[in-house]
Amino acid sequence: MTSPFEPHDVTWNRVSPRLVTAMLVPAAISLGIPVVVGVVLAVTVSPWFWFLAGVPAAFLLWSLLLVPRQVRAIGYAERDDDLLIRKGVLFKAMVVVPYGRMQYVDVEAGPLDRKLGLAKVQLHTASVGTDAQIPGLPPDEAARLRDRLASRGEARLAGL
Amino acid sequence: MSTPEHDLEQSGPGSAAQRAQPDAEELDWRRVHPVTPLVRGWAVVGAAIVILGQQSLDGGPRGGVVELITSEYWWTVLAALAAVALVGWGYSVLAWRMTTYAIGEETVHLRRGILFRQQRHARLDRLQSVDIRQPLVARFFGLCELTLETAGGTDSGVAIGFLKGSDADELRAELLARAAGLKVTKARPAEAGTQPASGTVAAPVGAPTPEGGPQVAGPHGAVEPTGAPGAPGAPDTAAGAPADAHATAAVEAPQVPVLTVPLGRLVASVVRSGAMITLVLWALAVVVVMIVTGEFAVMTASLPAVLGAGGYLFGRLTGEFDFRVAISPDGVRLRHGMLETRSQTIPPGRVQAVRLVQSVLWRGRDWWRVQVNVAGYGGGESDDKNSVLLPVGTREEALTVLSLVLPDLGVDEPRRILDAGLDGDSRTESAYVAAPRRTRILDPVAWRRNGFTVTGRALLLRRGRMVKILDVVPHERTQSLGLSQGPWQRRLGVASFQAHSTQGPVGPVASHLDAADAARLMAEQATRARTARAAAGPERWMENQGDRPGD
Repeated sequence: MTSPFEPHDVTWNRVSPRLVTAMLVPAAISLGIPVVVGVVLAVTVSPWFWFLAGVPAAFLLWSLLLVPRQVRAIGYAERDDDLLIRKGVLFKAMVVVPYGRMQYVDVEAGPLDRKLGLAKVQLHTASVGTDAQIPGLPPDEAARLRDRLASRGEARLAGL
Repeated sequence: MSTPEHDLEQSGPGSAAQRAQPDAEELDWRRVHPVTPLVRGWAVVGAAIVILGQQSLDGGPRGGVVELITSEYWWTVLAALAAVALVGWGYSVLAWRMTTYAIGEETVHLRRGILFRQQRHARLDRLQSVDIRQPLVARFFGLCELTLETAGGTDSGVAIGFLKGSDADELRAELLARAAGLKVTKARPAEAGTQPASGTVAAPVGAPTPEGGPQVAGPHGAVEPTGAPGAPGAPDTAAGAPADAHATAAVEAPQVPVLTVPLGRLVASVVRSGAMITLVLWALAVVVVMIVTGEFAVMTASLPAVLGAGGYLFGRLTGEFDFRVAISPDGVRLRHGMLETRSQTIPPGRVQAVRLVQSVLWRGRDWWRVQVNVAGYGGGESDDKNSVLLPVGTREEALTVLSLVLPDLGVDEPRRILDAGLDGDSRTESAYVAAPRRTRILDPVAWRRNGFTVTGRALLLRRGRMVKILDVVPHERTQSLGLSQGPWQRRLGVASFQAHSTQGPVGPVASHLDAADAARLMAEQATRARTARAAAGPERWMENQGDRPGD
């Protein structure tokens, strides 16, 4: 069975594997704190608090398994007239953004991203439904992509 | 007053490099109508009264406003109200003083704000729609607010208000003529509210005059249609001829009425609407619970929800009251509203997507509702009111309205395709690519309806069995395309397709298509959208009519 997420004329670019770290660190912090609190309370107060520790711990384990696969699933490809972005392991999604439809391009990098040498490129069209972001790009690649998208968009600019 | 000289060269649509130079142009800044502060100030007084009312309702046993009114200090309440009114009106007067607007060759300028000055320039070739709104209070004074929508997202429009009714009509005609690419000579500024309407002339340069029926219904009554292009007639305005000999009234593009929605049908449609069904079921449930439990608190607890639903229904009834659809060379014109009247103009090519929808109780009468996505309408609270092209109509009427905004679907027999989209399913023979039978587990009720078809000019997506929906997206208006697949869909070898449109009520999707169909649609639609855009008409719809600029 052919997957609709593998167009035959497309070679996908992958994002940096450092994105795994960038995604896991916030998850580890936000889930780790309840785990620690739960464990401490379970030891000192009541064994019922193991539940408090267990649930976030399970989520943490789940994301440890899933995030690397998610990162590997992110791909983007520049075709002559449009940009393809795909993502997702269980819930796959792909979006095709014609260059001429782009209204503006965002490049973002949080503190952790900068530490790891990552940036996120996000494309905006006139539709709010367009979910076209490419996280985990090296800054050089992000800048190159931004300029390229901007110049291609200008060449194919077509109002709304 | 003098005629400003304009020597800006005409630019082709979409040439981003070319910019209007406001400094180079001699703009004549106009004020809005001097009664505006009075109209705006009412909002403050109204809010104060509402707060007062709430206070007196919610007020505890002691110190409530009611107690104050009944005491000998009752005048303090009145004094406070008067003070609020004074502040409100004073602020409005200041705001009025600071609000000026000007119409340039290619842009509209609006200056406003007291402490934080705002100057807004809107490019006319980006104009998406021009609406004239008349709230109840403004109607007593014969004033209107003109809103010009550009595609900048929420709150990107330019609202010029309030203006005298005839001035607003004239300004709209001028804006539309300029946006259409006609050369407009400004005759003289109409000093807001002080002199009779006259003002501008739309003198087409190398473009055909808008032609219409024999009777041209302008804002000032019947106007003789002009024969030859480039020689607009001089229709007399209602009150006195303009002073300047060359100042002829703006030629309001003639409009031809298409249909009106009878009040009886509107009421019946609201009674049969989904919101009404929900409201009735909810009320029944509340009554049953009350009888069973014997608690009155249930009713008071559910009151807000009932009021909300009732308010929605009331809003729909008054907003869509006396709905009139007309067509003009400047696009579709809508007129509707009871308490607040709205008159909308949506120029050609501004409709991003159209939805025909039929709620379950409308099926017997075969009624349909037509909604549109127009960039600039989305996001606001008035979204619901603006985006309706036809509140309720028979199938014939709905398809007529559809053909007004999308005249050509690019097929020989559009009616067959549309009928199949409106109520056909996978059992009926049609051009639609339907979702496969194996998806009935994912969508047991409506799986037969999920499907799409492609015509030369548009993508049609149908779905829904209880609430039937047909979405029509012109190829050149698709923003981006999406494909998604969940774990169950992957197991069944299907995927959902989504065409992203601008913000609005229409969200075109085709769920659970066969994976191969979805992949092919995705690949082909990207190409089709590209070629359609290259061949699309100009942003200035009166310019280069006939010869389409190809990239």
